[in-house]
Amino acid sequence: MRIRIGLQKLGKAALLCIFSIFTAFPFIWMVLSALKTKAEVMDVSRFFPQECQWGNFYQVIFNSPLLRYVWNSLFVSAITLFLQIVTAAMIAYAIVFMKFKGRNFLFAIIMGTYMLPTAATYIPSYIILANMNLLNTFTGLIISNCVSIFGIFLLRQAFMQVPMGVIEAARMDGASHFKTLWYVVCPMTKSSFITFGLMNFITCYNSYMWPSLITDSEEKLLVSQGLRKFFIEGGAYGTEWPLVMAGSALIVLPLLILFAFTQKWFINGIGGDTGMKG
Amino acid sequence: MKEKIKEAGCAWLFVLPAFIPLMVFWIYPILRSFYISFTDWDYMSPTYNFVFFDNFIALFKDQRFYDALWNTVVFTLGTLIPTIILGLGLALLLQKSFKGSGIIKFILFSPWITPTVAVSIVWTWIYDPGTGIANTILNFLGVPALQWIKSSQTSMLAVILVTVWKSLGYAMIFYLSALEKVPKELYEASGMDGAKWWQRFRDVTLPSISPTTFFLMIITMVNSLQAYDQIQILTQGGPSGSTRTLLYMYYQLGFEEFNMGQATAIAIVLIFITVLLSIIQFVGSKKWVHY
Repeated sequence: MRIRIGLQKLGKAALLCIFSIFTAFPFIWMVLSALKTKAEVMDVSRFFPQECQWGNFYQVIFNSPLLRYVWNSLFVSAITLFLQIVTAAMIAYAIVFMKFKGRNFLFAIIMGTYMLPTAATYIPSYIILANMNLLNTFTGLIISNCVSIFGIFLLRQAFMQVPMGVIEAARMDGASHFKTLWYVVCPMTKSSFITFGLMNFITCYNSYMWPSLITDSEEKLLVSQGLRKFFIEGGAYGTEWPLVMAGSALIVLPLLILFAFTQKWFINGIGGDTGMKG
Repeated sequence: MKEKIKEAGCAWLFVLPAFIPLMVFWIYPILRSFYISFTDWDYMSPTYNFVFFDNFIALFKDQRFYDALWNTVVFTLGTLIPTIILGLGLALLLQKSFKGSGIIKFILFSPWITPTVAVSIVWTWIYDPGTGIANTILNFLGVPALQWIKSSQTSMLAVILVTVWKSLGYAMIFYLSALEKVPKELYEASGMDGAKWWQRFRDVTLPSISPTTFFLMIITMVNSLQAYDQIQILTQGGPSGSTRTLLYMYYQLGFEEFNMGQATAIAIVLIFITVLLSIIQFVGSKKWVHY
């Protein structure tokens, strides 16, 4: 009996090990490749670099525009996220706590668009931005993305847990709706706001298709577009794999570090509050 | 009365900041897509003709469309099935926490938060037929080398592998929280303390987490319909259209060939499929979410 349990545990551990290695491998390989010379990277018999080429990182940080793209992405994501949080909090508050004509209809519309493929809106949205002269601008990127349907759902779900009595008490004390939202509801649903913020920050920072359609000038590229440009530019002389890997590592590793400290909030957002009953 | 109007006005003040952008960049574009799909607009010329269903008819006569539809089905199922099964398997293995389980969860989930473009570039390097590590590993295992993204026979497999790698942790997290919510009494009440693990799994666990399975299936399908980043980096829909999904075809028609009419016609097809899936999800969840 004891042996059987022991074997079971061993089997479990082995399986988990295999999957963890499979999952982590691309990241490990990315970093290892980034530290090799161009000759080493082409030599399949070499797994580890003979001497770590930290210069590759130096080169992508100081002699390539990658950092600029990182900055662009951070800038656009921060503003987009701020707008998404404000707009979502306000509309979720109205839907949950205020009575007005068309409330259910409004929510039905938002609900109906939740799953629709975003890409289906791209051609008309592109034309709208073109007409507003906002192609190739951060403003265009930000305003076309300033409402998050996922965020509205997440906050609505959280607000519904707040007892109506608390809202009424605050209103009785003469607090305006803005004050009630900001001083009463927000603190009570803080964890949903954190989840919302992290999830949407990552989504925005990682976004690629829509930004790549509406921006093409060098100095406006976001990180994913920039990295792709960096990747295909070297093509003429054969891809500079060590540099490309160093660039990828430069962009992926900070996210992994951020994630290591905030994992809990992501898990809440996925497992708990995404409209799942249960 | 006055109070009531003030209240309603205030409500709309709260609604509009989200509602206006939602109208301009979501709802109007979708309706507009329907309209454009009935025209022969090419984006450049200021005039266009109303062609009714010509775009749809042309599409339904085009072999490329059926290939793309088939690719979409293969990609969707090829991603869905391993993601669900492996996600559940890993969640079961990690259900009881032990020393190091936190780190394993972190590792398995980490691909999900990283930019698809960056990791797809890494995978391109891994897949390189000559000097990539994927073939080195196959060699080591005694399996003949593959051309991966360079051959139309393996390119879809390669794209699917990356997508599963990326979404596995996501399914696992979903299942972990679902497993946690299975009431302990269910196991005891069914009097199966001594019963085989497999029996317990089949009769108690699986039915209890079925809403999650169902939800994950729909979500994965909807996501697969929208997959673009990894295809664009790894294969650009090729070689010879072998990884061209409906969405990728939409992109090529719209933003490479500027055939806006046909591109939006595909968008309508995509919307139609998504609406169908949402209806299934809605009806199904009423039936299935019972515990």
